[in-house]
Amino acid sequence: MTLELQSVGRQINAKWIVHDLSFSVKQDECLVLVGPSGCGKSSTLRLIAGLDRCQQGTIKFGNRDVTHLPPSERAVGMVFQSYALLPHLTVYENLELGLRIRGVRIEERSRRIQHILDLVQLADRANHRPSALSGGQRQRVALARALLRNAMVYLLDEPMSNLDAQLREQIRPELRRLILDQGKPTVYVTHDQNEALAMANKIAIINNGEIVQLDTPIHLYNNPNSLFVAQFLGRPQINCLKPRDHQIQAIRPEDLKFSESGLPCRLVSREWLGNTQLLYLESAEGGLRMVAEPSFQCPERLFVTWQQSKVFRFDAKTGLRTS
Amino acid sequence: MKLKSASIILLLAWSLAPLLWQLYTSFSTDQALVTPFETMANRWTLEHYRSVISANPPFFLYLINSLFVGILATLLTLIIALPAAYSLSKLSTTKSNLIRIILVGCALFPYVLLFLALLEIARALSLGNNLFALALPYTALSQPLAILLLGSAFTSIPPELDDAARVEGLTLINRFRWIYIPLLAPAIASTAILVFLFSWNEYPIALTWISETSKLTLPVAMARIAGSSIHSVPYGAYAAATVLGAIPLILLVIVFQKPIVSGLTSGAVKG
Amino acid sequence: MTVVYLLIPAFLLLASVFGLPLLRYAWLSFHADSVLTGLQPIANDGANWLRLMHDQRYWQDLIQTLRFAFASVGFELLLGLAIALLLHQPMRKRGLIRSAALIPWALPTTVMALGWRWIFNTPYGPIDQFTSLSGISLNILGNPSFAWIALVYADVWKTTPFVALILLAGLQSIPNDLYEACTLEGASSFTCFRKITLPLLKPYLGLAMTFRLAQAFGVFDLVQVMTGGGPASSTESLALYAYWNALRFLDFGYSATIMIASFVLLSTIVAFGWWLMILLNQRGSMAVTE
Repeated sequence: MTLELQSVGRQINAKWIVHDLSFSVKQDECLVLVGPSGCGKSSTLRLIAGLDRCQQGTIKFGNRDVTHLPPSERAVGMVFQSYALLPHLTVYENLELGLRIRGVRIEERSRRIQHILDLVQLADRANHRPSALSGGQRQRVALARALLRNAMVYLLDEPMSNLDAQLREQIRPELRRLILDQGKPTVYVTHDQNEALAMANKIAIINNGEIVQLDTPIHLYNNPNSLFVAQFLGRPQINCLKPRDHQIQAIRPEDLKFSESGLPCRLVSREWLGNTQLLYLESAEGGLRMVAEPSFQCPERLFVTWQQSKVFRFDAKTGLRTS
Repeated sequence: MKLKSASIILLLAWSLAPLLWQLYTSFSTDQALVTPFETMANRWTLEHYRSVISANPPFFLYLINSLFVGILATLLTLIIALPAAYSLSKLSTTKSNLIRIILVGCALFPYVLLFLALLEIARALSLGNNLFALALPYTALSQPLAILLLGSAFTSIPPELDDAARVEGLTLINRFRWIYIPLLAPAIASTAILVFLFSWNEYPIALTWISETSKLTLPVAMARIAGSSIHSVPYGAYAAATVLGAIPLILLVIVFQKPIVSGLTSGAVKG
Repeated sequence: MTVVYLLIPAFLLLASVFGLPLLRYAWLSFHADSVLTGLQPIANDGANWLRLMHDQRYWQDLIQTLRFAFASVGFELLLGLAIALLLHQPMRKRGLIRSAALIPWALPTTVMALGWRWIFNTPYGPIDQFTSLSGISLNILGNPSFAWIALVYADVWKTTPFVALILLAGLQSIPNDLYEACTLEGASSFTCFRKITLPLLKPYLGLAMTFRLAQAFGVFDLVQVMTGGGPASSTESLALYAYWNALRFLDFGYSATIMIASFVLLSTIVAFGWWLMILLNQRGSMAVTE
């Protein structure tokens, strides 16, 4: 089964917040939507879930056109940033509510909830209220609820944004195991590019309600189609040299090399990041970021050089790639 | 510290003195009331309470009438105001602000001025002398306050809870049952008590809509004692009735002090 | 956008108790509708309005209503502020003390109005009993210069708790670190009150004032039961005058005229109060940002 969006759009007050958006996600594929805040990535997710109405285009789950169906009839499993657990119900009751509303019999409910609680390793927390759980545990309850939905499509809206960095790394493999192994199309929204690169089969970079580029993570990184994409992916951020002939040249920090001659630079400041160090340089081409070995003792003045093949060129007006 | 204790005592004296005087009056013989500074043998009596309880119709009937109208009006108000408040919280800012301004305007309206037209409505639709019907104007007049209070409570519910419930397949009625009503219980309690107090205490409409003695609400029944004759009000019996009538309200205020305070104050914050 | 229909029942109710009556009054005020016309409305070309212009009792009642409203609301704000400051302090049994302070507000106005009539009674009420010990009888409710003061007192007693609670909400909204900063600056607690509490409380004072003024303009229960408008109409309010016209003189046309005129006059004053409140709010927020 494939999730398919065809030129989907939504307008608020005569402004398109999602415009002419098309993509398809095959089963066992995870598409990650990234972009600056307010770019329309969460709105896209809400359109797929049926929480908001499309004013344009069609949404299909396989052969089924769901564009005008209410969320209850779409069978999507959705995980929210704030987990959206009901504070006055226990973990068990939170999981049970949806099943109950959908008319699942009581023995069946109990069997499925036990099974899912084992899966997310929360069997001993069944009778606790969400307020008694840690952030990671709440997140797993939210995942369990989405899994209980027997969903056609999984939608995850910044599921890890409320967790600290360490917990995120722990939960990522778990999330992959629980959701991605279901073999259903998954759409994942995040603003964290590390998370995007880690989870995605494909990444769609969104800006102003439109897809700027959609591709595999590696291809996006190596072949950005615009300055926006090049700057959005990759940390430390890509270096832009002084514009020449209405063209912007950009080079990744890891592609800069030291040499005996080349562009003369002055060291402004340095950040030691453990396994690498980040150097901030000043040159006639403007400020540069550069990655170096952690043990490297950087002199006050130095020369850097780079291979011309590693340089991306963008049109200064449109920001589109020219070579 | 001394100053604070003194102020508290002063506050309590100010608030409770008139009631305590009623209490004193209700247990005093008529003779004692007329000459309070003379010592006499039969100073205290339960006669006033006896006469109130054995009056025809019995005093408790008025309490029951008021209770009935109060509860009915409160329930009706909530049934109508809850969906309206939900709707208000889902509207765009401009629209909901416009509606809020209309509601504040209605809440500020000195509703006493409406009694004549309401009386005409009651006559045209034969709603007079009917306690069920009396709850209707109370319900209507309570809407502004109830919608404003509940509306601000609805906006405090995180929208993602709503979204998650819709994805799970909960209909609007399901969401009221499982999410809004449990989560808004404190605000609903505050609103309910304020509406109940208003209905229990309301005078001009009850005065004009109800004339049958057996259907009077407490405030009108009490005022009738005053109106019966300007010069010789049976103050002893009246004080006994006041004490009996005040007890349920005093209990209500003690038990529900928190929701009353939070209801009034959150109304203030909302402006 | 499908949720808008949930507002319809509430607004139908509001329209039937606010919209319909106002329209009816406006229409009725241009008609004679009394016993003389057999209680049938007959257009009378604005005779009601002409009569209102020359009705000394109406203008007298307007002044009396305003006098009552401004006096009671003024005292309520002062006393309410004092009570709010007191109730804001930490103390033992605060819940119970707050309940006790709330009781006057919760009791029906009519019930306590008669209680007050007993307390102010001449010669048997406690006040007259005490003053008569020194040979004076104030005859409070029988004296046109005192009776309205007794009404103000009873109203202040009943509604100050309401004002105090609104101001309490305001006090609770003021962050404590403002006071800490103020004390660190070495200012006296009175200076802190004047520079922090009062300016930040202004919106709440304005709210309480507007709301209470609107209510006090419609004063009815208290006057009707406590003094019946007397002595010699000296405490009669606009609402009571309209009530007499409708239910005692059965002159519905003129009663409607009184009510619509009063509504317009009083809402002008409330709107003015509101405007003043907004002005104060702006000043208040400026004081904070300074």
